[in-house]
Amino acid sequence: MTLLQVQNVKKIYLTRFGSNKVEALKDVSFRVEQGEYVAIMGESGSGKTTLLNILAALDKPTSGQVILDGQQLNTIQERHLASFRRENLGFVFQEFNLLDNFSNQDNILLPLVLSGYKVDEMEKRLMPLAKELDIADLLKKFPYEVSGGQKQRIAVARALIHEPKLILADEPTGALDSRSTESLLNLFGRINGRGQTILMVTHSTLAASHASRVLFIKDGEVFHQIYKGHRSNEEMFLRIQETLTLLSTGGGLHA
Amino acid sequence: MRNGFYFKLAASNLKRNAKTYFPYLITCVVSIMMYEMVCALGQNPQLATMAAGDSMQSLLGFGSFIVAVFSVVFLIYTYSFLMGRRQLEFGMFNILGMEKRHIARIMVYESLLTLLVSLTCGLLLGMALNKVMFLVIVKLLNGTVQFGFDFSFSAVVSTILLFTFIFFVNYLNALRVVHLASPVELLHRSHYGQKEPKSKWLMTLIGIVCLGIGYYISLTTTNPLGAFGMFCIAVLLVMLGTYLLFTAGSITLLQFLKHRKKYYYQTSHFISISGLLYRMKQNAAGLSNICILSTMVLVILSTTCSLWFGIEDSLYRRYPSEFVLTMNDDELTDARLAVVDDILAGEHLSVDKTTYHYLAFTGMLDGSHFVTDRSEFSMNQISRIYNLFLVDLKDYNAAMGTNAYLADNEILLYCNRGHYGPDTLDISDYHFIVKEKLDHFIDNGNAAADIATTLFIVVPDQSIIDALYTYQLTAYGENASQIQLYEGFDTQLDDEANLALYDKLTAALGDSEGDIVESRTQSRQSYISLYGGLLFIGIFLSVLFIMATIIIIYYKQITEGMEDRDHYIIMQKVGMDQSMVKKAIHSQILTVFFLPLVVALIHLLFAFPIIKGLLLLFSFSNTTLYLQCALICFVIFALAYTGIYALTSKTYYHIVKMN
Repeated sequence: MTLLQVQNVKKIYLTRFGSNKVEALKDVSFRVEQGEYVAIMGESGSGKTTLLNILAALDKPTSGQVILDGQQLNTIQERHLASFRRENLGFVFQEFNLLDNFSNQDNILLPLVLSGYKVDEMEKRLMPLAKELDIADLLKKFPYEVSGGQKQRIAVARALIHEPKLILADEPTGALDSRSTESLLNLFGRINGRGQTILMVTHSTLAASHASRVLFIKDGEVFHQIYKGHRSNEEMFLRIQETLTLLSTGGGLHA
Repeated sequence: MRNGFYFKLAASNLKRNAKTYFPYLITCVVSIMMYEMVCALGQNPQLATMAAGDSMQSLLGFGSFIVAVFSVVFLIYTYSFLMGRRQLEFGMFNILGMEKRHIARIMVYESLLTLLVSLTCGLLLGMALNKVMFLVIVKLLNGTVQFGFDFSFSAVVSTILLFTFIFFVNYLNALRVVHLASPVELLHRSHYGQKEPKSKWLMTLIGIVCLGIGYYISLTTTNPLGAFGMFCIAVLLVMLGTYLLFTAGSITLLQFLKHRKKYYYQTSHFISISGLLYRMKQNAAGLSNICILSTMVLVILSTTCSLWFGIEDSLYRRYPSEFVLTMNDDELTDARLAVVDDILAGEHLSVDKTTYHYLAFTGMLDGSHFVTDRSEFSMNQISRIYNLFLVDLKDYNAAMGTNAYLADNEILLYCNRGHYGPDTLDISDYHFIVKEKLDHFIDNGNAAADIATTLFIVVPDQSIIDALYTYQLTAYGENASQIQLYEGFDTQLDDEANLALYDKLTAALGDSEGDIVESRTQSRQSYISLYGGLLFIGIFLSVLFIMATIIIIYYKQITEGMEDRDHYIIMQKVGMDQSMVKKAIHSQILTVFFLPLVVALIHLLFAFPIIKGLLLLFSFSNTTLYLQCALICFVIFALAYTGIYALTSKTYYHIVKMN
């Protein structure tokens, strides 16, 4: 079943006085199936952040459309957007984006509180999730009291607490050391394993090698994709590297 | 050349920090202007020659002292805020290879530049406004103006000295900050995070107790004699209580709410409670300052306005008749009264005179027992000091046009302030039974002016007064009171004729010691001078305090804006829509902003009884007038405060840039 459908998405930015047009996305189309773990790779300036913002409904495409679970994103009214985002999407950012004035527990519960859940219901959801992510001991602490890897796990918990249809991760390992990166990627693998759909934007080959499919974006277009199939992470890692080399040397490898 | 470089760097530093430096510069200019003005006015030779100008001048001298103290404290406070914000900048200079002595040198130029600019502007403005203020004062005092430019050299000199001193202290402070700034600290700074503030039950409790005692003192002080001392204690307690409740109490309350899960985990409470926790942690001190300053402005303005607008009222209480003669009642009294009658006849005046004898002396009231034992006097029993004012029945009936009757040991009693409880009164060997408690009495201005409460007593017979005279003579010796003759009358003359008559009466009677001639018209001038001076100083200080409030609020908004910006972005990313975030932040700002105003209003309300007592010392007892003044002052102040909010919140939203 297709969860996310991106059809001919195009995004043009106008520079400050409207004189110059910058084409961030030319023509992007792809689908993400229910339960998939997709990584989107590309160099800086390739348009991945723009794409993610459009998927997150933070930005609107100039043309084309994004359909999440049968719902066209650009038809959602402005005032319903925030709650739509909250209930259907979970976000994991490079810079964690935890609020320092909330305890870790409150950071995780924030989306539920915004949606007006009852306290019992919140606690019922929180505890199993905290055990699964191994953050039960950190709940009473504050974001500034825990390490980067722990912060990112808190952020993942916040993204998962609403049981979203899709997790959108923007360079989730970008600010982590290698050990924390490894443990976060394993975590992503585990939650994907229980059926959670994940879409991750990254330029880390290691991170991408954990995904079941990797999309390459170059100059605002989907340039190539690789399915993992039965390959191991290491084999996938090598395939991705080869592709990246080809991409940067200008080879044409259309899928 | 190198000096030129430092100078340029200093100037560009100031320009770059304009957002925070400009308000500081304004504060300096206004303080200098105010100080120069109040000093110059205090030394104005024209003012000294005006009627009752001297009391005005001593008030202005007092005012200049307050302005000076305030300027020192406030400018140092403001400057240390500025320096705190620049710590990063100094660290950056350090990293870029500037030595601390170089930075110190830049700071010299910065300070000199600021000092020069603010002194020039402040002194020029001060001198310009000086003339305007002088005209206002002359108008208040009903004097005539001689035109001309008054220049007070010594005022300028003392202004320059004072503010150079302040700038020097600030420079030392800057050196300290520069010295402490280290590049390493700069690198680690972002990792600090903000600790969540903890509840402080003890501090909260102390705060509540302080505030409670302060309020209790105000509510229970009925005796104006004790009011002044108690007022000072109450003010200190309330200030301390305000500070503690803002800093500790607010956080304890918020923490308490936070631990009530059902309450806390609701959309609106969730965001605002944790937001407020951090806001209060950072702003509590500033907010309590704002609150205290606001309360001061309100108290000062409402009391000085009441006094000013109540001048006639006070005059009529102090001088029930246009003329009041008080003289010792001895064998020459009749002769002197004849002199008065002669003068009145000479003026072709027929007046309606109120004449009576009285004996007034002070003692301590112990239940219903009036004692004259000096050894029992002590300051903490100050509220038990009472005046006894004795009149015999014959005089009373004559003066009041009544026909009362008293048995041997019966008295009529009137208490001019508060309430006398017992139904009996013991003095010396007399055991009086209060036949009736009166609700008004023969007018006597002296009692109205006296700070102690007076018990007015009508005794059945003159012989009792004579006996009590002997009694207090034994007790007090040479400090004893004389039996007095009081004569009051109104004339239908204009002010000038009244003043002429006053001069005649004083010339005729003034040579013997116990004789006092008082004229309402003659006293009006000194009342106007005193209360006008108080009003002037009151408005002056209010302007200064309001300026301080503006500055504190402005800096608060800037600091908050910087911090809220990040939070705002994150909250949007995790699923709050813009309007939600905007509403949440807006409501927090409103709460934080208007809390001091609300608390100031509560303080003002609780201060009402004690202020009423204090105003009695100025023989002011028009409660309605006071309430009107207080209400109007509060409304005006609240409007000004809201205006300040509207202006400064613009800066805030500009920083946060709610895109």
